[in-house]
Amino acid sequence: MITPTHYMLLSAALFTIGVVGVMVRRNIIIIFMSIELILNAVNINLVAFSNQLQNAVGQVFAIFIIAVAAAEAAVGLGIILAFFRNKETVNIDEMNLMRW
Amino acid sequence: MPAGINAIDFYYLLPEIVLTAGALAVLVADVLLPRGSRALAWITVAVLGATLASLLPFADTDVEVANGLIAVDRFALFFKVVFLVSAIMTVLMSVRYLEIEEVSPGEYFFLVLCATLGMMIMAGGIDLITSFIGLETMAVSFYILTGFIKPNQRSNEAAVKYFLLGAFSLGILLYGMSLLYGLSGSTNLHVMASVFAGQARDPLLVLAVILVVSGMAFKIAAVPFHMWAPDVYEGAPTPITAFLSVGSKAAAFAMILRIFVEGLPSMTSDWQLLFEALAIVTMTVGNVAALTQSNLKRMLAYSSIAHAGYLLIGVVAGTPLGVSAMLIYLLIYTFMQLGAFTVIVMMRRADVVGDELKDFSGLHVRHPVAAFAMLLFMLSLGGIPPTAGFMGKFWLFRAAIESGYVGLAVVGVLNSAVSLYYYLRLVVFMYLKKETTGSEPTASPALALTLAVAVAATLVLGVYPRVLFEVAEKSAQTLGLGGAAAP
Amino acid sequence: MSFPVLSSLIALPIVGALLLLVVRDGDRHEEVIRRIALVVSGLVFAETLLLWAEFDAASAEFQFVERYAWIPSFGISYAVGVDGISLFLIALTGVLTPLALLSSWESVHTRTRAFCMFVLLLESAMIGVFVSLDLFLFYVFWDAMLIPMYFLIGIWGYERRVYAAIKFMLYTMAGSVLMLLAIVGLAWLHYGATGRYSFDVLEMYALTVPTNLQFWFFLAFALAFAIKVPLVPFHTWLPDAHVEAPTAGSVILAGVLLKMGTYGLVRFAFPLFPMAATFFAPYLATLAVVGIIYGALVAMVQPDLKKLVAYSSVSHLGFVVLGIAAMNTQGLQGAVYQMLNHGVSTGGLFLIVGMLSDRRHTRAIADFGGLKAVTPRLVAVFLIVTLSSIGLPGLNGFVGEFLILLGAFTWDPRFAVCAATGVILSAVYMLWMFQRVNYGPVTDEKTAALADLQPREWAVLVPIVVLVVLMGVAPNLFLRPIEPSVQRIVDRLQEAAPAAIQARDHVFIP
Repeated sequence: MITPTHYMLLSAALFTIGVVGVMVRRNIIIIFMSIELILNAVNINLVAFSNQLQNAVGQVFAIFIIAVAAAEAAVGLGIILAFFRNKETVNIDEMNLMRW
Repeated sequence: MPAGINAIDFYYLLPEIVLTAGALAVLVADVLLPRGSRALAWITVAVLGATLASLLPFADTDVEVANGLIAVDRFALFFKVVFLVSAIMTVLMSVRYLEIEEVSPGEYFFLVLCATLGMMIMAGGIDLITSFIGLETMAVSFYILTGFIKPNQRSNEAAVKYFLLGAFSLGILLYGMSLLYGLSGSTNLHVMASVFAGQARDPLLVLAVILVVSGMAFKIAAVPFHMWAPDVYEGAPTPITAFLSVGSKAAAFAMILRIFVEGLPSMTSDWQLLFEALAIVTMTVGNVAALTQSNLKRMLAYSSIAHAGYLLIGVVAGTPLGVSAMLIYLLIYTFMQLGAFTVIVMMRRADVVGDELKDFSGLHVRHPVAAFAMLLFMLSLGGIPPTAGFMGKFWLFRAAIESGYVGLAVVGVLNSAVSLYYYLRLVVFMYLKKETTGSEPTASPALALTLAVAVAATLVLGVYPRVLFEVAEKSAQTLGLGGAAAP
Repeated sequence: MSFPVLSSLIALPIVGALLLLVVRDGDRHEEVIRRIALVVSGLVFAETLLLWAEFDAASAEFQFVERYAWIPSFGISYAVGVDGISLFLIALTGVLTPLALLSSWESVHTRTRAFCMFVLLLESAMIGVFVSLDLFLFYVFWDAMLIPMYFLIGIWGYERRVYAAIKFMLYTMAGSVLMLLAIVGLAWLHYGATGRYSFDVLEMYALTVPTNLQFWFFLAFALAFAIKVPLVPFHTWLPDAHVEAPTAGSVILAGVLLKMGTYGLVRFAFPLFPMAATFFAPYLATLAVVGIIYGALVAMVQPDLKKLVAYSSVSHLGFVVLGIAAMNTQGLQGAVYQMLNHGVSTGGLFLIVGMLSDRRHTRAIADFGGLKAVTPRLVAVFLIVTLSSIGLPGLNGFVGEFLILLGAFTWDPRFAVCAATGVILSAVYMLWMFQRVNYGPVTDEKTAALADLQPREWAVLVPIVVLVVLMGVAPNLFLRPIEPSVQRIVDRLQEAAPAAIQARDHVFIP
């Protein structure tokens, strides 16, 4: 039997993987994918809660997040592309024009 | 909760509707107008002005509309005025800057309007979903605006950094929000507050609070979530830096107050503790890091981090007095920060970036008015009377003392003494250095207008702040009361 | 309603400064600019004289009081008024500002308009500090005054002017911010006691501040004032600021700005927190005596004229603080009188040093010598001012020092004895300096070619000499209006004394 706790554990695992991915990976695209993992962890949470509470708001929230994440992905990839055109790299260690 | 939106709700959303329609009109006008026309900027200003005017009928309104998704109250109104004023000033200072950078203004102005719309929704949002939508409308617009100058590598780099960290912080914030929803069964802040009020303290709720605080701390660039700010502020187009450091920060503070004061009053002791720690660290690190900067935009970035720390004092105090002090300081900060950036924009010429401290040496000879204005803004940011910045800080420290946070106030005032050092460093360059080899500022009518407004506001609010104080006190009182449902 | 004398005193220099904005800057207009500034400051002086004439010397109350609500929701008002203590400090400001302007006639040629504007704005802020009856208003003037002084040092100073200007600003700010918090705390206490916020000093006097808070508040106030005075461990900004400042800046700095610290002690720190004041008075007096002797010893070995005068200021202001700490009528009266003396004498010394360094382009004592033969008139004035600074009977310095020592003796003879050695030391370093500069053979041919006093310089120095003599032979002219106000503060302090002694036994650390 899959309980809400299972969903939460899955979501927490995904969230952790995402956070660790953002912290340790150097490739911008991979970092971006890790962020998407975090957002999906959120979605799992919301839908699971929604199901448990028998309340549709969580699913509405999840749909909004999916839509916004898509828009964000479009913009983000555009930004990354513009960066790549100038710099020909997607490694964040080479983002070093501004340092203090 | 009955579904659906009534017709009357659209009336209360009039300002947002005007702004949206105006933004679309700007996009269309961009196609119709000849290239290089300055009319587009004035159309944008007109749209913002019309939105400002459409706020008038709601001067005394205090209702929740659209099934408790958005509140139209004086608190939101105050913030909306701050956003619109800063957007107008941003547009005015952008005109010449865009021509020098040779980028097309159409999408730029459209995005500025979208960002403003997002901020307005954030200020009114009393539902996690609404707040989130507002936040993203603003943030996505800013990601693009930061990287708007595509050939410029700094601009690219700033955009990537801002995007990655912004999206990351959004993830953390949303995870906290999802937990809040799971624990309360609602995304409406008022419902949430009443559900939590009767509950015992849940460790998961503490975790949710920590996650939401961290996510919001990213948005206001509080230490230790501030790493993106100096780079983004330095790399972004200067008017966008100004808008980012004022508008987006103010909007994030509005959202913080909504979520924590209206949604989580039962957890007050927890988030107050978190914000107190954040405030102390933010003020101190921001000011100390600013001491060594040689790039003015970067210096102002750290100064703006430090100011987030001062503003957090108002959140920590949590009382209507604290909130009103924060409102007052935000408005004052808008004028002095935007004013300072206006002068930096004036320094930008085709061949000179003009944002290094040495570009300002001997400015008083080349352009006494710009130098005087900059002096005034620096004194105001440093909190010296009789400028507005002093009045704002005074009110914040007063709020801290009256709420019993004397230690916080002491840290605050000592920080503000330290901060004088780097603000005066610019004054040294402008007035005290013998060499006068810096770059020549130029003013367009739009820039002159922006500067005049900022100078006048900084002086007038410093000498006669009474009206602002009274308005802010009234606005702060509507927060947390929960307005009546729409008729 | 009567004529708002005090507001007009504050507003007049500001109006003058704004008027200067209309005149075009540049060499051709220099003369016009200077004249306008001089006339404005002269008008201010005339008005201070009127104020003195109209002042009721028998009353201890504040006079010419004006009150307007400023930020009513927090009880902040624009409230000004004078009593016997502030009356003469305003007059001193009125005298020294035109003299400072006159002294810069030949020496300041760059950015003259800005210079005159800053001097006038400074005058306005200084008068504001002395007349404020509202703590918030006081703080606003206290801080606002820093800006013009910062520029006076930073733009027209000598080599290390930028360093000195920033040091001056940061020191003073660091001290004063805590005072701001204490002020807010006081207003809040007033709210707790009466249900109404207030920043009015007179209402604050009526407030009983809890003992442990008195300690903290007093420390916050005293720190701000001690830095300004400056008391010894906080004095390091002063020599830098004095040495690097232009003559006009030094004159105003020594003549008026330093008095704000001691004025603050008399007006706010002591009467607002009488118990804490009684408790801390011996410590303050110790610092003061250390300052007297330390300042004198350091002054003795200075090779630089301006630095010598700067350290003599540290020593002389130690006397003032000692007189305040004595908390009796003689001591306080002497302290107030000594503030005026120091303004006149040290202001005069800085003016003379400025004249010498303008002529000779050096301030090193070793570069001078034998001036008596070259510029006899200048040396004659120099002698009078030097003697007044030493405290020769018959001249002004004597009266103040005598009263202070008398007050200190009745309070605690040990302090008086130590301070008296300072009097002797001051005679030593002043006379030794005077001898090295003015007597002996002319050691340098450049010195031999120096010109004697010009008419303009006579105009600067004659008022100083007149004041030195007048205040020496007719002290009652000044002491009589001072006395009632001082007496009122002393009464208030004495009232709290028994409680304070009790507090000393019971509450040591707050």
